[in-house]
Formats: sequence, structure tokens, C-alpha cells
Amino acid sequence: MQGSTRRMGVMTDVHRRFLQLLMTHGVLEEWDVQRLQKHCYKVHDRNATVEKLEDFINNINSVLESLYIEIKKGVTEDDGRPIYALVNLATTSISKMASDFAENELDLFRKALELIIDSETGFASSTNILNLVDQLKGKKMRKKEAEHVLQKFVQNKWLIEKEGEFTLHGRAILEMEQYIRETYPDAVKVCTICHSLLIQGQSCETCGIRMHLPCVAKYFQSNSEPRCPHCNDYWPHEIPEVFDPEKEREAGISKSNKRSSRSRQH
Amino acid sequence: MSEQSKDVCDPNFAAEASNSEVHSSPGVPGGPSLPASQAAIFPGPESPPVGPPDAPLVSPAPQAPSEEGDPKALQQAAEEGRAHQAPSAAQPGPAPPAPAQLVQKAHELMWYVLVKDQKRMIIWFPDMVKDVIGSYKKWCRSILRRTSLILARVFGLHLRLTSLHTMEFSLVKALEPEELDRVALSNRMPMTGLLLMILSLIYVKGRGARESAVWNVLRILGLRPWKKHSTFGDVRKLITEEFVQQNYLKYQRVPHVEPPEYEFFWGSRASREISKMQIMEFLARVFKKDPQAWPSRYREALEEARALREANPTAHCPRNSVSED
Repeated sequence: MQGSTRRMGVMTDVHRRFLQLLMTHGVLEEWDVQRLQKHCYKVHDRNATVEKLEDFINNINSVLESLYIEIKKGVTEDDGRPIYALVNLATTSISKMASDFAENELDLFRKALELIIDSETGFASSTNILNLVDQLKGKKMRKKEAEHVLQKFVQNKWLIEKEGEFTLHGRAILEMEQYIRETYPDAVKVCTICHSLLIQGQSCETCGIRMHLPCVAKYFQSNSEPRCPHCNDYWPHEIPEVFDPEKEREAGISKSNKRSSRSRQH
Repeated sequence: MSEQSKDVCDPNFAAEASNSEVHSSPGVPGGPSLPASQAAIFPGPESPPVGPPDAPLVSPAPQAPSEEGDPKALQQAAEEGRAHQAPSAAQPGPAPPAPAQLVQKAHELMWYVLVKDQKRMIIWFPDMVKDVIGSYKKWCRSILRRTSLILARVFGLHLRLTSLHTMEFSLVKALEPEELDRVALSNRMPMTGLLLMILSLIYVKGRGARESAVWNVLRILGLRPWKKHSTFGDVRKLITEEFVQQNYLKYQRVPHVEPPEYEFFWGSRASREISKMQIMEFLARVFKKDPQAWPSRYREALEEARALREANPTAHCPRNSVSED
């Protein structure tokens, strides 16, 4: 097992299997990625120490650099979970979804994307999206069909649905951030703290700057009087909790216990 | 459109590149597809470090050029093409592209193949040409070769021509041991669970499973044909269309039955990817019974495992990753 090198990294079967599996799953949460890493070590290099995830990934990325792909780490906008995906840096268009969807479906996504970016909340209502069905390129699509296509987007983790409204999935943001910033340079919103693309977040009512919810959580952590970093006015929103993977795991275990007992009753 | 491009870029070539009895297609003028020029294009001339039992799909090591045409002349033409990068006025047709462009195409093709495989879609050669290679059709051989090399070196995957007849490629793992990696994250992979549920039902029955029987089983998971599920969505569509499209299941009308009824069988992909022993392990886990509670099936699974071991002496038996959580 090679140690991590600062120059171009070396690929071993551990890394290769990791890449294979990451690609298979599309997007994974951090805990799954750690399990995946351990699994790959177990299969190919039982006795080696499992490298720290960050170094492990940087190592792989140094090899992937010349291929214009990268393991990107992002954070879900609503609750701050770290997620990972293998993304292609070279293509800057929606065409990476092209193999999955027909022309009119891709256009529906584009329309939904525009509505989401232009909106104040980062959400576009189902009604507003469906009203654009007549303007789609390609084969004519009925509203009923469009509803179904929107569900396909949700299942494929491009969109998230909440109470009849749609926003971008963390995976879509990871994969398309570059494309979005290039295509909608004026409409795009950016977080003051991390400077990344912002779809959902909180904004200062006085000066208008925006922050991601997880960025708010971190910035104002244990601050009893949160103030806008830009204009110093009182920050009028509820400060969310910082994402804690430990708490999450415990909650997950108790949830799955409940689930398994429920299914046995059938 | 994507007409059969057999005359220009024979996918068969990529499949047999490692032996010198290559049956390459005729009439490939001046393409930089020779080992000598290949070494110049590829940055690292070492062969893929992965050593699977079969020879790697692509070997950049110099081979006896068995292609038609004078090898030296072709090599010269390739080098000239690189040096000048301008179409000579006398030649009809496109000029050989700069190596950097071929490299870029190879990267695009690599991603295309990875995404297709991720979506469990068929990797069809004419699609590859239409969607990615495009006007570089004449050089698709070297592009394919480079892509295969990268996939092997970086991902440990073989881009293999699985069917010359249908011109289908697939990505095959080149690493050992082969095992059901999906199941390594089994508690997060509901699709696999759903599929395994149906496959094991069919297996236990020993013949096709009627749709009504399948729904009885899925009821255990709380799934109904008319209800949308938060994870699976439209379950009926998933099992009758998507799994079928991916060749995991077959969904066929039961002959001579009115009103029409349908039944499920194992698909070819399921037979390739999932072993009977894995099904037994799944059953044991789900029903909390010993696999030998299904004695004849267990015997079958043992038979199959033995046959697999004999066929692949170097491969491990699939590890018991189903029960690993």
C-alpha cells in the first residue's frame, strides 16, 4: 500500500474499486463513502491502515485531474449533510443528463431550473413549471406526462420535491454548478460565506446578502445575537443546528429498528 | 445517422487488440492507429498495471502490425499529420486531428461509457459514434483504445465488446475478487433488495412467478401496484419496465390464459451477475432460516458454485457480503 504522495497520486486496486463503486452509486453521503472506503480496503488490502478520507480522495483526484473529472464534495443545502459525487468538469451543459431523457424532458428540466434560479426561495411550484409545458422543444408533452417526468427527476436525484414545490438536489448542484453560473450569470445567487452557488438559503432583509442554511449554522454557532456579517443588522431568521453525523447515525439506527418491526406486522 | 461503420471503425478490433491476429477492417488510411504513433500519443507507455486473469483488453506494447498497408508508410503519414496539422491540399477528407483532440475525445468517451453503465443502459457502438466520436469516426479505433486504457488503469474496468452481433459493449470489472459490491451498502440499496426479493421468489418456485404471486410477496415490503412509494416511485413500472429493460427480469404473458396474465423470469443480466448462492444467503437473511431449509434449491446453488469455481480457479467464491452490513 503506497503512502500518500504529494506529487501525482498512485492508483491501486483499493482506489480503483472505490472509484467504480462511487460511480455506480452516483452520489453518496459521507458516511456511506467512509463505509465504501473501508470495504475497498477490506477487499484489496486488508492489513493496510485506512487512509484519512480527505487524503484518500485528494490522492485519487490528482490522478483524475488530467481526465477532467473529480470527486467533488458538497453539502446539502437544507440540512448540511456532506455528499460526494464523481463529476465531469469538462462538459458544462445539461447534456450529461442527455442519455437519460428525451429532448422535451431535458427542456422541461431547463425550464424548471430557470424558475428555481429566478425564484426568491429557491423553489419553483409544480403549477408554474407545468404551465410552461407548451413551450417545450421536441415532442408535445401533456401536463400529466410532465408530472411524471418531474417525478423521474426526483427519483434520479436531480430535483427535490417538498410540498408540491421543486428545488435542485445536492447532486445537481454539485454536477451543474459551473454550467449554472455560466448560463445564468445575472440571476445566480451566491452565498456570502462560502461563495458557492446558492439555491436555498437565508437572506438579510436589510442588505440582501444570502447564506446557505449550513453556512448560517456554522457562522452563528453559539452566537446568541446573530448579526448580518455585511450590514451588522440583526439576523432575523432561526439559526439551524450544525449537522452532526454522530447524532444522525443514532437517529438512523432507532429509525430502522422501528421500520423493521413495522414491516414484520404485514 | 449512425449507420454501421464497420467499414471504417471495426469495434472488433478493440476487442482483440492484444493478439496479433487482428482482423482489422480494410482501408484505414493514415490513421494514427499504430503502436509506434500510439506510444507518442500516450504519455505513459507502460501497460495497465492491473493483472486480471485474461489479458488486458488493450495493450499499448508494440505489436507486429498486421494491418494492411505498409506500416512504415502509415506511421510516416501519422507523424506528418501530427507535425503539420494542416490538410494537404491534395487529400480529400478531414486532416488527422491534433493528438490533444483525440485525447479529449477519449476522455469524453470514457465519461459517456461510465455514465451509461451507471444508468445500467446498454453501451451501443453506433451510439458511441453518434453521440461522442462524431466527425472523428476515422480515428475511433485509437480513441477507443485510449479510452479502454484509461478505464483499465484508473477504474479497473474493461471495456469489452460483449456482442459483435448487436455491437454492444459493457464495462466489466477487471479486479478480483468479483463480488456483489452493491450489497456492500445493502441497507442503503433498496432497489437491490426489491430485485432480490423477486428473483428469489422465482428461484424458489423453480419456474416463472406469476405477477399476482410477486405482488403477494411485495406486500410484505408494504408495496402495492397502485400506490406510489417514497423510494421506489411507481413500483409496477419499475419491475415490469425498468428492471426488464436492464435485463434483470423478463416479463412475459402466460400463454393460453384468459384474461391475460403475466409472469416474471430471471433476466440474462441477473443470471450473469447474481449467483444462486447469493440468493440462498438473501433468503436466509430475510426469513431468518438456514439456507438448507430449501434443500433442493440449496443443492442447486452448491452445484452452481462448484461449477463456477472449476471454471474460474483463480477467482474467489463470492464473499458472504450479503450478510455483511
